[in-house]
Amino acid sequence: MKKIKVKVNGKEYVKDIPEYKTLLDFLREDLFLTGTKRGCGAGECGACTVILNGRAVNSCLVLAVECDGAEIKTIEGEGENGKLSPLQEAFQHHHAVQCGFCTPGMVMSARSLLDRVPHPTEEEIKEAIEGNFCRCTGYKQIVEAIIDASRGGS
Amino acid sequence: MLRKFNYLSPTTEEELLKFLAKHMGKAKLLAGGTNLFVDMRSDLLKPEYVIDIKKVPGVKEIKFLSRVGLSIGPGVTCNELIECKAVEEKYPLLIAAAKELASYQIRNRATVAGNICYASPAADMAPALLILGAKVKIASIAGEDIIPLKDFFKGVKKTLLQPEEFVKALIIPEDYSFMKALYKKSKRVKGHDLSIVSVAMGRIKGFYRIAIGSCGPTPVLLEEIPVTVELKEIISKALKAISPIDDLRGSADYRRNMVEVYIKRIHQELGGKN
Ligand SMILES: Cc1cc2nc3c(=O)[nH]c(=O)nc-3n(C[C@H](O)[C@H](O)[C@H](O)COP(=O)(O)OP(=O)(O)OC[C@H]3O[C@@H](n4cnc5c(N)ncnc54)[C@H](O)[C@@H]3O)c2cc1C
Ligand code: FES
Ligand code: FES
Repeated sequence: MKKIKVKVNGKEYVKDIPEYKTLLDFLREDLFLTGTKRGCGAGECGACTVILNGRAVNSCLVLAVECDGAEIKTIEGEGENGKLSPLQEAFQHHHAVQCGFCTPGMVMSARSLLDRVPHPTEEEIKEAIEGNFCRCTGYKQIVEAIIDASRGGS
Repeated sequence: MLRKFNYLSPTTEEELLKFLAKHMGKAKLLAGGTNLFVDMRSDLLKPEYVIDIKKVPGVKEIKFLSRVGLSIGPGVTCNELIECKAVEEKYPLLIAAAKELASYQIRNRATVAGNICYASPAADMAPALLILGAKVKIASIAGEDIIPLKDFFKGVKKTLLQPEEFVKALIIPEDYSFMKALYKKSKRVKGHDLSIVSVAMGRIKGFYRIAIGSCGPTPVLLEEIPVTVELKEIISKALKAISPIDDLRGSADYRRNMVEVYIKRIHQELGGKN
């Protein structure tokens, strides 16, 4: 067991955790932040995407102990005061959500893109979400939602 | 869920080397973990110790020194390489190759050194590094050594690295900076797949430099070829240097054909005549 201190969505946590626990399992099982999803557990699908020290990562391939001292943002930190963010609203408006399983990861990848590049091109959007699988929408609505959100200055 | 292991996080290079010497054979180094954790999850690897290199000072360093060249620390990720101004200016081929590696999220963890140490025949950084004349700086408790990258690969996922050694840096000499070069990779799905075939080819000081990935047990670097050599002859040299197999990604014939196609295309894009 190791003690780690992390800041998740602005809130600080100090926890004892086993060394072999992934960041994904830590978020879901220890912090009960179950918005972050596990698809493949092997870096392929992007459902587990979170923002670690400002960079989008697959939380299934990161150990929680590697995050000691880190700042993490998950889907639960995207909206404020129980309200959806403009980016989330754009997903809703464009029907970019069907079953919703990919959505938290997709929104985190989009968030990280818009933080780096406020007005991305369609190509840049596609590159930013190439590590996020969606088996329902066909991606078109997702790309449109992100374009729309970038125009709205979210 | 991963199996149990002990996590060690040395904060000096000396400590890292001591851990390696002490737990020789029972430990695996951890850089980005994008190969390591996948292999541990599938029980391909069951290390007792995982030694994280990221807290060792200097591992994130990427810098260019004239006459020495570019030095890439073992903690430098593909995206950090892509964002580096000196690389963009002097070795744009490295950026082209890094952009072909996995997805954006993976590139935020995957290190350039880890890609080489894992030694997959499909390693996307390998062909580019090979034609740039990269060298590998190896350190152990006994001292340091620098060897050419072309001698580093020994087989599929095999290198000449000993269990007590680690890659301290990759060094790209100044010789081939500003080389006009291209990297081409064929794959099944963008962002989600290893290469079926990859070719890096550049032209500098009257010579072509060519390296080929996924067409043999290791990435292959060809001997330099004078630009006066006919295209047909260049292709024939390339096909002699490779030993592709049939696998789930493609057939040996397809691979040979694609090597020919890529060399033709790059040759043309580099302004070569038949
Ligand atoms: C979904 C997915 C897609 C991928 N797509 C691609 C792709 O398109 N192209 C491609 O080339 N690769 C791909 N990879 C493989 C992987 O991301 C890369 O090989 C990456 O560069 C490995 O770097 P790392 O830092 O994550 O290595 P790690 O997993 O940390 O380490 C890899 C191996 O090297 C050893 N090692 C690491 N650093 C050192 C060091 N400094 N000295 C000695 N040994 C060391 C480790 O012990 C381990 O055995 C993909 C992986 C995933 C999960
Ligand atoms: S669960 Fe992490 S990438 Fe699929
Ligand atoms: S909405 Fe179902 S996987 Fe994307």
